[in-house]
Amino acid sequence: MLFQWGLQKKQKEKKEPTIQQERDQSGQAQDVPREPIHSLLDVNLDIIRHTTGNSSDIVIRRFTIGQERSIRAALIFIDGLADEKNVYQFLLEPLMAATFPISLSSKDTLSFVEKKLAAVGGIKRISHWFDLFLALTSGETIILLDGMPSALSASTKGGETRAIQEPQTQLAIRGPRDGFTESLRMNTALIRRRIKNPNLWLETLKIGEVTQTDVAIMYVKGIANDDIVEEVKKRLRSIRIDSVLESGDIEQLIEDQTFTTFPTMYHTERPDVVAANLLEGRVAIFVEGTPFVLVAPALFIQFFQAVEDYYARFDIATALRFLRVLIFFLSLVAPAIYIAATTFHQEMIPTQLVIAIAAQREAVPFPAFVEALVMEVVFEILREAGVRLPRAVGQAVSIVGALVIGQAAVEAGFVSSAMVIVVSITAIASFATPSFAIAISARLIRFALMFLAAMFGFYGIIMGILVMTIHLCSLRSFGVPYMSPLAPFIPSNVGDTLFRVPTWAFKERPRLISQKNIVRQGEHQRPQPSSINRQEENEGEQS
Amino acid sequence: MKRKMAMIFSLLLCAITLSGCWSKKELTDLAFVIAVGIDKTEDGKYMMIFQVVNPGNVAGATQRGGGSGGVPVSIYKATGDNVVEASRKASNKLSRLIYYAHTNLVVISEEIAKEGVDGLLDALERNSQFRTTAMVVIARHHSAEDVLKILTPIDKISANQIIKTLQFSEKVWGQTLNVRVGDVIHDLDSAGKAPIISGVEIVGAVKKGKRQTNVQASEPDARLNINGIAMFKNGKLVGWVFGETARGVLWVMDKIEQTSITVEWKRKKEAVAYKVVRAKTSVAAHMKNGKPSISIRIKAEGDIGESLVPIDFTNPMQIFALEKKIEQTIKNEVVHAVGKAKKEKTDVFGFGNAVYRSYPREWKKMKHVWDESIFPQLEVNVTVDAFVRRTELRTKPYIFGQ
Repeated sequence: MLFQWGLQKKQKEKKEPTIQQERDQSGQAQDVPREPIHSLLDVNLDIIRHTTGNSSDIVIRRFTIGQERSIRAALIFIDGLADEKNVYQFLLEPLMAATFPISLSSKDTLSFVEKKLAAVGGIKRISHWFDLFLALTSGETIILLDGMPSALSASTKGGETRAIQEPQTQLAIRGPRDGFTESLRMNTALIRRRIKNPNLWLETLKIGEVTQTDVAIMYVKGIANDDIVEEVKKRLRSIRIDSVLESGDIEQLIEDQTFTTFPTMYHTERPDVVAANLLEGRVAIFVEGTPFVLVAPALFIQFFQAVEDYYARFDIATALRFLRVLIFFLSLVAPAIYIAATTFHQEMIPTQLVIAIAAQREAVPFPAFVEALVMEVVFEILREAGVRLPRAVGQAVSIVGALVIGQAAVEAGFVSSAMVIVVSITAIASFATPSFAIAISARLIRFALMFLAAMFGFYGIIMGILVMTIHLCSLRSFGVPYMSPLAPFIPSNVGDTLFRVPTWAFKERPRLISQKNIVRQGEHQRPQPSSINRQEENEGEQS
Repeated sequence: MKRKMAMIFSLLLCAITLSGCWSKKELTDLAFVIAVGIDKTEDGKYMMIFQVVNPGNVAGATQRGGGSGGVPVSIYKATGDNVVEASRKASNKLSRLIYYAHTNLVVISEEIAKEGVDGLLDALERNSQFRTTAMVVIARHHSAEDVLKILTPIDKISANQIIKTLQFSEKVWGQTLNVRVGDVIHDLDSAGKAPIISGVEIVGAVKKGKRQTNVQASEPDARLNINGIAMFKNGKLVGWVFGETARGVLWVMDKIEQTSITVEWKRKKEAVAYKVVRAKTSVAAHMKNGKPSISIRIKAEGDIGESLVPIDFTNPMQIFALEKKIEQTIKNEVVHAVGKAKKEKTDVFGFGNAVYRSYPREWKKMKHVWDESIFPQLEVNVTVDAFVRRTELRTKPYIFGQ
């Protein structure tokens, strides 16, 4: 029903010139009355009750104010969204206890309340129903006075939110422990705390015609490329959808390429990652109600960069980078190579090994490809079950999985133990990729490569990888080549790709992302033994 | 767009249809031939012997029973007018495809070797599966079939047993040589060098060696033994060298890595054991008045491994004297080897190649008469430079005081 309305709106809005207007009207198309707020309190309250379907969580508190308690008034807020303590302490109490000047005309009462009595930070005058309901549903408190054709909205946003906790994904041994929460404001504050600079700009818009979700774009003015910022804004503004519940909803509407298994936007739960990306000139997109913050543009190599790479020393970080790329490759091709080697290229396996594998396969009734496919699918089932199941039952899945696949299947002769090893390596490898987004893309390609390997052997695998590479090189993320700085090759940025150079050698920001302001640190940052010169503290983190 | 799609489609079609060898073979459809033996039947035909691995019975494949009791290899035989025919014929006995890619050993019977190996090797070299890195041995006294039938205790697959024995024996003892099919083919093709191949023989009761009981005894009834180096001339086996003379061949060919040399001291034979740990041989050709000569320079370095006579190693003069003796012993080995080769008129050392490298123009003239007239008269000068690096933990043997 609501969505149908959304569709109608879409056609309607095409004619509208500016976004602001569209939005103003989009609310009114609902049951929200078009006319301005009525001057009679009872009528207004009726309208509110009627529009909200008399929802039980809407609190309407009637009271009287004025010199002789002659003006009837009402406070309206939504229980759970507004901070009840604030409403009573800073709005209701001052209003009821206040002595009103005698000379106050009924017309000025509202501005008197606005200016002198309401002891909260943000207070706004509202004269349209649409704004009133928007304020109400965002957790603000509405003050209505009898005889006034306008209302006041006081910001009393509050209520229960999740506390800042350690992020569940992208864990790091060394590094900050705070993670984003579902509260947009808390999330932006986490970034502000890290980048104390007025150039950290934040723009908020509401997306989702029904949900009216707050979406914020954050970037560092002067570092971020203005064209990319504009592009992000343009794409966000053009979204016409009824609801945005997670940043994934936005991501799928603004990413460059839908028909790819590779993610062209980065998402993270870690404020330090977002801060680092902002300082490289990227744009962050916060969505109210999800701890996952989008970062654009995203590069392929970014998905192999774990936060700890930058906090740990460069030697180990470089070693781990290589390992991760290897892991990704392994999780792509391990089963395919097994199939190809055992069905096409037996001569490539060392004699002892081929005899061992052949011995295991003696009793296996299926061809290697079917064996591999069955095992991979079973593993995917196990993984999916493990993710979705309640934690208490999850234990059972892993036991059954270990017993059935690990032992019973091999003993029963359904699969060879070599295949179990290959599947296990693949599984572990796909978990060891730092970004889940890239790991699941490998998951799909793996099956394609297995088919190719079963049909054409290594030749098929190579063809598959070639096609994948060409596809990767053709991808763009907000105009930035996905494979940069490897293709196109940018020598000054290669230091943060397959390997990570020491921090003092991180002289430049990614050129294609932050095009204007690319110098990120001063000269002579390399630490010298017993140096008398004090090293200047770098502004911001390096990543 | 349409054209682009058509283009991509046709390219993909090419990629798929024009691809080369893509015949799918499951592991369970293959018979891994680990060794090939070639014998001669009484009516002059070739007999091919295939040692096929029985994967389920090879140690390590413990799962799903089978293992104990079964033999690790099976032997299949087939006769034919040529190698290829025999190989194809074997398919009516084998339930699987004969797969040569893991063939690591070729056993040629002495009988065939004496008739000439040129013909057989072509079939092996031509086959796309077969590797020219497979090793070759000559079965002495027994047929290749018997050699491949012997079951061996430590390396369950007897082909592996032979290969590893060849490799390690060459490395630490230096009286046999591991030769690959490719080496033999290369030597056959070269005018300045004749091939040599190590021999393998069966020690013990051949009949008992074919049974599983052979590997269940602490001392097997039959063993495979690497012994001797066969010299070839024009692709035909002409003679054997054994023991120290065989080592002489390896000295010249710069194949010695480690070995042990026993020298006499003060009229006591076999008095001191000298362990060679490093050796280098350089062969140079010279030309004097149109007559070629060869100088061999051997540098050996080693330790005293054992001394059965009282020698005072704290005295450098004693050590120098010992080094002289060692040099003499090595030189004797080399001279014997060269003498044997000269007698057989076959240049197994590659002296001809040395001449060719230094004097290509002169070589062209003498190439055709090298084996017959020049090599047997060739002047070969051997200089040995032995060095005692350590005397190990003792400077004076405990028998010194006696």
